[in-house]
Amino acid sequence: MLEATRGSRTAATKAPTQLISLCVNGEWREVAVKPRHTLVEVIRDSIGLTGTKASCESGTCGACTVLLEGRPVLGCITLAIECDGMEIRTVEGLAQGEKLSALQEAFLDQGAVQCGFCTSGMLMSATALLENHPKPDRDQINKALEGNLCRCTGYNAIVDAVLQASGQGVKPVMR
Amino acid sequence: MILFDFAYERPATAEDAVAMLARLGADARLLAGGTDLLPNMRSELLRPGVLISLNALAPEPPQVAADGSVRIDALTRLASLERSGLIREKLPMIALAARAVGSNQIREMGTLGGNLCQETRCLYLNQRHDFQFSAPCFKLGGDCCYPFPRNAPTTCWSVYMSDMAPALIALDACVEILSDAGSRRIPIEAFFTGSGLKPFNVGAAELVRTVCIPAQPAHSGWGFHKSTVRGGLEFGMAVCAVCLRMEGDGKTCAEARIALGAVRERPVRAAGAERLLQGAVLDRARLAQAAAQASKEIDPLPHHGFTRRHLMDNLKVYLRRTLEQALERAQG
Repeated sequence: MLEATRGSRTAATKAPTQLISLCVNGEWREVAVKPRHTLVEVIRDSIGLTGTKASCESGTCGACTVLLEGRPVLGCITLAIECDGMEIRTVEGLAQGEKLSALQEAFLDQGAVQCGFCTSGMLMSATALLENHPKPDRDQINKALEGNLCRCTGYNAIVDAVLQASGQGVKPVMR
Repeated sequence: MILFDFAYERPATAEDAVAMLARLGADARLLAGGTDLLPNMRSELLRPGVLISLNALAPEPPQVAADGSVRIDALTRLASLERSGLIREKLPMIALAARAVGSNQIREMGTLGGNLCQETRCLYLNQRHDFQFSAPCFKLGGDCCYPFPRNAPTTCWSVYMSDMAPALIALDACVEILSDAGSRRIPIEAFFTGSGLKPFNVGAAELVRTVCIPAQPAHSGWGFHKSTVRGGLEFGMAVCAVCLRMEGDGKTCAEARIALGAVRERPVRAAGAERLLQGAVLDRARLAQAAAQASKEIDPLPHHGFTRRHLMDNLKVYLRRTLEQALERAQG
C-alpha cells in the first residue's frame, strides 16, 4: 500500500506562505507562494505573464515549458518554491521590444502556428536547442521537441521553422 | 496544480534529509526531479504531508574509482548523464538508456535515483480516480483490482517502467542506500521486491545515494533497446538491456546478462535464455532461440492497452535484435 496516501493532514495546515524572488526575463520579482504552487501557476497568476500555457498539468504536453537557468523544464511539475533565486525565461522574454527573435519570425514565415496553444512551449524548447546546437539537423530537432505535443499535428512546419531560424536554407512559405 | 497543502523542507545535506525522514515517517516524501512524484500528487495517488527537497544538494560528477568502477551520484540529472563525456566513453549503454527516458524536459529535470524509485504503473492507478472509479484498489489499501478482477488482495500487477534499471542490472551495478544508521550497499537486483504493492527494498527513512557500476571486462559487448510506439515521450513496451562476455576466441559466450524492463512489477533477468547462451557458440539462430525462450519465461503483464500476446511477440523480435547488437560489439 502506498503509505503516504493516507498521510495525516497535520503538516498541511502548517504550510505557510513564503516570499521567494524570481528573475523572470531579466527582472527580479518577489512573489508569495505556498509549497503546493507550481511554477506555471506563479508565472501566469501571480506575475501575470500568460504567454506560458498550462494544458495537461501532468508533465506530458510541454505547453508550460520555460527555461530555468537555461534548461528547458516543465512549469507544471516544478514547484515554484524550488526556484527561489533562479533565473527564468518565458516566451515573453524572447522578443526585444517590438522586434521578434529569429525563431519567432521563422515560425510566422513557415506557418508553424495553428491554434497556437503549444507554440510558446515549442519556442522555448527550440530556443534552448539553438543555444546549445546552433546548426541542428532534423533528428536533433525532433529529439529536442519530443516533449512538446501539437494536437493540430503541425510538426513539419515547426521543424522547418527551427531549420530556417538556424539558417539552413529553408525558404519562408508564408511571406 | 496540486489540490492539497503540504509542508516543504530543504535540508542542506543528505544526512539531514534521512534524519528528517526518520523523524517524519511515512508522511514525508523525498523530492528530487519531481517528474514522477508531482504528477502522482496532482492525481492524488500520493498525498504526503511533507516534501523533503533534495535540490539543495549539488550532485557530484561521475567518478572513476581505482578499480575502474564508475560511481554516479543518484541526484545526477538524466540529461547530464546523457551528455557526460565520461559516461559516453566508459558506459555508453547508460548514456543511451538515459536518452531513452521521457522527453527532453523530463530528462533535464529527472534524476537517476528518482528514475529508479518511480512508482509502478497500471491503467487504473495512474488515472484521476474521481470520475472513473470510486473504490480504491489493492495498492491504495482497498479491496479490488480493476485491470485484473480475479486478482488476490496480496498482489498488485502494476508494471515497473524504469528505462535505467534494466541497463544497470545488465551492467551488474550496485546501489548505495543511506539511512541514519549509515550506508549500505546492495546489488541493484536486490533493490526490487517484485511486488507491485511495495516495489522497493528501502525503508521509510532511507535514500538512494549512489550507483556504482563495475568496470566492464575485455571481450564484452552491450545492447540496449527501448521498444516504443512513437519513439519519444512514452513508457516502453519492453526495455531490453544485454551484456555478453565472450571467451578469447570471440565465438563462445562466457557470460550473458539479459535484463528486461516494462514487463513485470520489477525489471527481470531472463535466466533460461542466459543459460542457453552461456558456454554456447553464438550465431543468429542461437540468439533467436534465446530471445524466444526469454519471451516465454518472462510472461509479461499486459499494460498500456497492449495484450500479453503482443508484448511477447514484441519481446521476441527486439530482444533478438538487441542480442545481435551486443554480439557484434563484443566481437568488433
